[in-house]
Amino acid sequence: MPRSWDSMDEFEAFLDGGGIVEVDDDMPDVYRDAVFAFIEMHANSELMGGLTERDWIPRTPGLRHKMAVLAKTQDEIGHAHLLYMVAADMGRKTRVEMMEDLFAGRSRFHNVFHYQAVTWGDQVAIAFLVDAAALASQQAVFKDCSYGPYRRILKRIISEEGFHMRLGEDRMMRIAQGTETQKHMFQESLDRWFWPSLQLFGPDSKPDDELLRWHIKSERNEVLRDKWIQKFVPMLQSYGFSVPAPDLSFDETTKKWDVGPIDWEPLKKTLAQGGPDSARRIDEARDNWKRTAWVRSALDRAASVPS
Amino acid sequence: METDGLGTQCPRPGRVGAVMNSHLTDVELRVHEALSSVDDPEYPGVSIVDLGLLERLHVTADGLVRIGLIPTFSGCPALAMIADDVTTAVRSVRGVGHVELAWLAAPVWTVDRIGPETRARLGREFTVAVQVGSSVPRCPRCGTRTELQSMFGPSRCRSVHRCPSCSETVEVMRS
Repeated sequence: MPRSWDSMDEFEAFLDGGGIVEVDDDMPDVYRDAVFAFIEMHANSELMGGLTERDWIPRTPGLRHKMAVLAKTQDEIGHAHLLYMVAADMGRKTRVEMMEDLFAGRSRFHNVFHYQAVTWGDQVAIAFLVDAAALASQQAVFKDCSYGPYRRILKRIISEEGFHMRLGEDRMMRIAQGTETQKHMFQESLDRWFWPSLQLFGPDSKPDDELLRWHIKSERNEVLRDKWIQKFVPMLQSYGFSVPAPDLSFDETTKKWDVGPIDWEPLKKTLAQGGPDSARRIDEARDNWKRTAWVRSALDRAASVPS
Repeated sequence: METDGLGTQCPRPGRVGAVMNSHLTDVELRVHEALSSVDDPEYPGVSIVDLGLLERLHVTADGLVRIGLIPTFSGCPALAMIADDVTTAVRSVRGVGHVELAWLAAPVWTVDRIGPETRARLGREFTVAVQVGSSVPRCPRCGTRTELQSMFGPSRCRSVHRCPSCSETVEVMRS
């Protein structure tokens, strides 16, 4: 039975009490908009991430890694598909409208997919640093997510992203035990990807962040970012790599690492589609969408023929 | 129960208890227990035994463990990871010496190897339905017959369905 609430206060009390909103419920428009925008961005990011991964299928060294890259591509595209279905059910945009907005540069996707992965070292850094950051963010959403359909999809996505993170750790350990050339290549990749990965968490959450108030997120951006720093700074150092933060310091009393001031300009640029590789990425995705139009149209025609 | 170089054929999940007790030695039972604690990388809390990956198990008198597993799909990227997890878990079992693990090409894995309890858990905890034979998978939330959206989901062993009644997006494990 669809539920409805008489006031925003009543709705928020329902959320605070651990209530889960379902697709047929008569949820407040502001909540619907916020959840929809959040899922749309997640879906866009999975799709753009999948396309990046796909670019690496022919270039990945070794059959074992190639198999993993193939499967990861399918994972990411599959996640995007599931998320677009859940987002479309909210009645704000159809799946096609979401695609068209993405390819026209009208909607957002995660900052990390606005950069170019130049070497295999970059792919290792992405799998190791970015996947861990994305997983931590998703776990924090899943923990207390008030929108049921998204929460249930997240549970499966998180299980698979956890698997990607293990692959990333495996790749990192291999390259850390590699030749001097390989280690040097990975250090260069870390220099490129450390800050974008850290910025994936976003700037500090606003005190009145509605995503937190409506139980879409369960943790503040700065808390998640700090956990990531405390894990990865010592880990990278223990494998003999340096962290590209000139003001890096360790506080002996709190036993915590501090990366110094964070420049948020690169993040702002990527959100405005002005990242170093944004234009090429969006163009390629749009071309891909055009080139595959015949497949969609053939499937639509097949589906309309009575069997 | 037949034994060859690859070890003893393991009974299907769901029938494990009674059959195992009469056919497996103490150390084999302990190894089986250890294997039952190795989760599938994509379903935390669901073990490789629950999913029917274990096909053969044999422990020789001097503690050599031979394990034969079958992959859900031959191109599965998790095989190396599962093998590592299995070896680690089995090595810690009392009475175990060397561990030999093989991925078998036959029999072919099918969803029939997933026991009823595990199917129910996949539905309850992961909203994943299991497609047995040509039956139409039912929505894990409301029991309605689902409609196929795409043969291909996030992994090769799953397709994407949708529930026409409650709109749930349902992933379906298939062979």
